Amino acid sequence: MHEALSVLVTGVLLGGVYALISLGLNMIFGVLRMINFAHGELVMLGMYGTYLCVTYLGIPAYASVVIVAPALSVVGYALHRFIMAPLHSQPNMQIFATFGLLILLENAVLALTRGETYTVPSSMGIPVEIGELYVGLDRLLIFAIATLLAVGTAIFLRKTMPGKAVRAITQDRTSAQLMGVNAKRVFSFTFATGAAIAGLGGVLLAPAYSLSPYIGGNFILAAFAVVVLGGLGSVAGAYFGGLLVGIVESFAGYYIDPALKQAIWFVLFVVVLVLRPSGLFGQVGAEEVGLRPQH
Amino acid sequence: MTTQVLSKPQQKARLRLGPIALIVLLALISAGLIALWSGDPYALNILTYTFLFAGLAGAWNIIGGYGGQFSLGHGAFFGLGAYIVGSLYFNQQATPLLTLLPAAAVAAVISVLISWPTFRLKGPFFAIATMAINEVFYALANYFDDLTGGPAGLAIPFKPAWENLIFVDRSSYALLMLGYMVLVLLATHIFTNCRTGHYLVAVREDEEAAAAIGINVTWTKCVAMALSAALTAFGGGLFAMYIRMIDPPTVFTLAETGVKFALLALIGGAGTLFGPMVGAVAIVPLETYLRGYLSDYRPGMTLIVVGAVMILAALFLKHGIVGALRKHFGSQP
Repeated sequence: MHEALSVLVTGVLLGGVYALISLGLNMIFGVLRMINFAHGELVMLGMYGTYLCVTYLGIPAYASVVIVAPALSVVGYALHRFIMAPLHSQPNMQIFATFGLLILLENAVLALTRGETYTVPSSMGIPVEIGELYVGLDRLLIFAIATLLAVGTAIFLRKTMPGKAVRAITQDRTSAQLMGVNAKRVFSFTFATGAAIAGLGGVLLAPAYSLSPYIGGNFILAAFAVVVLGGLGSVAGAYFGGLLVGIVESFAGYYIDPALKQAIWFVLFVVVLVLRPSGLFGQVGAEEVGLRPQH
Repeated sequence: MTTQVLSKPQQKARLRLGPIALIVLLALISAGLIALWSGDPYALNILTYTFLFAGLAGAWNIIGGYGGQFSLGHGAFFGLGAYIVGSLYFNQQATPLLTLLPAAAVAAVISVLISWPTFRLKGPFFAIATMAINEVFYALANYFDDLTGGPAGLAIPFKPAWENLIFVDRSSYALLMLGYMVLVLLATHIFTNCRTGHYLVAVREDEEAAAAIGINVTWTKCVAMALSAALTAFGGGLFAMYIRMIDPPTVFTLAETGVKFALLALIGGAGTLFGPMVGAVAIVPLETYLRGYLSDYRPGMTLIVVGAVMILAALFLKHGIVGALRKHFGSQP
């Protein structure tokens, strides 16, 4: 019993990491329906940005969010302006271009660091005792922030005017524009927000993981799986989907075989995708919205 | 009464080669190149890889280009072919000559079993699902280590003999891969000119309209996928006997296999007979050259160039090199 509980807690905390990354991707893929395979690289850049802040500015790891998140939103804005916007309504070319960007960024960082791995020091690495379990404080923080972020984005998208404008644009671009929504600005803004969330994710992950250029590639397929699994554009879906994938991975790794843990939830993902393309929390038919050519 | 002779319509005197004649011509030129460089192992290695990847990109092109189904999981079939041929040779000393065709057949069957449900997904969702399938194969190859050698891989012993498809002389490999490329070109030409091939293009252009005139959409896609996967697995088997070292990262890394087949086909011109070959000729020698030239400098430099080429091609070369040439010379796309 204690064993299962410990596996569950590990899974939930890992799920927090997936949820955190998926919430940013959900803005870009789920809400805007843009395929950005380089999203994991934005998280990776956020992690290296944190390292630079800690090393050269001497500020605490978590405080670097005030520099890293705005910097990443600028990167996101440029990415949207120069790559995503020209490829609007061409999903296959978006896949192709952003996969190229993934390879480019991954190897640019590899070339710059010459393959050396870095770690970001922080005081949060110490495990705390909860009941009979030891839990890393940094992981607990990731989980807490992911939860807050999920609540925050859900409120933003549902209750505020800019959030409603974002949803209106993806559902029917022409009508939304006729209602006075500036489509170009909404797209740039949402994309930059998604990138800033990736930056926040990078800051939170930096003390918990050792830095490698390939870390984004490890997360990206999981994040896409979570967004599709949860339901495109659904914040609750991205959050609970992330937790579900984390828990499945943790249990499969412990009770079946560590080598198969990812294969098991990939199979689960493909099965859900085929049986219910709208995802667990998504509206039926939501997967078709925004992929039709729009003028 | 004089009978009036109707004049025959004037024939244009322009020389126009049919696709089969072009394939034969290309094969002869390529064979000439192999003969020309027969003493140079470096050049022969580049030729071997170029022909192999031209064939693999051509195999992807059947479902990805003509069918418009953007699969990024063809690495799964490539790896399947490599592992079936490599493992049967390694464990049972079975000659690749006997195992290549069964490996292709197994890949065709598995591809249909996987694709039949996955074809319900459209556009990017299909692409993401195929990537996930590739990753499942990656994990399975690591797991079943008594068949695949696990993460350590299979090192195939060097026993030169033609029935082992292992040669001392590199020009034999180049000829072998050239044969494979020609096989893919001929298969593509024949398939795209048969009824199912025309159905496939109709499905790509408008699935609902195709279904409305009575085309069985899923069946058409499955046939194209089976052919594509079989040819890919065949290439994987040849690859295994050429490099003689198979491990999961070599055959299942997306950027090296599944995505690369698509990259070459798209850069050359997806949905055209010669596009994938043009893409392979443009990219593979460049990449091999850069790998030798830049790798002393810093790690990852070659892939930086590959990534940049992908971004630029997506932005500025949407119909590939063949498409750009056709536009320039004014013939219909």
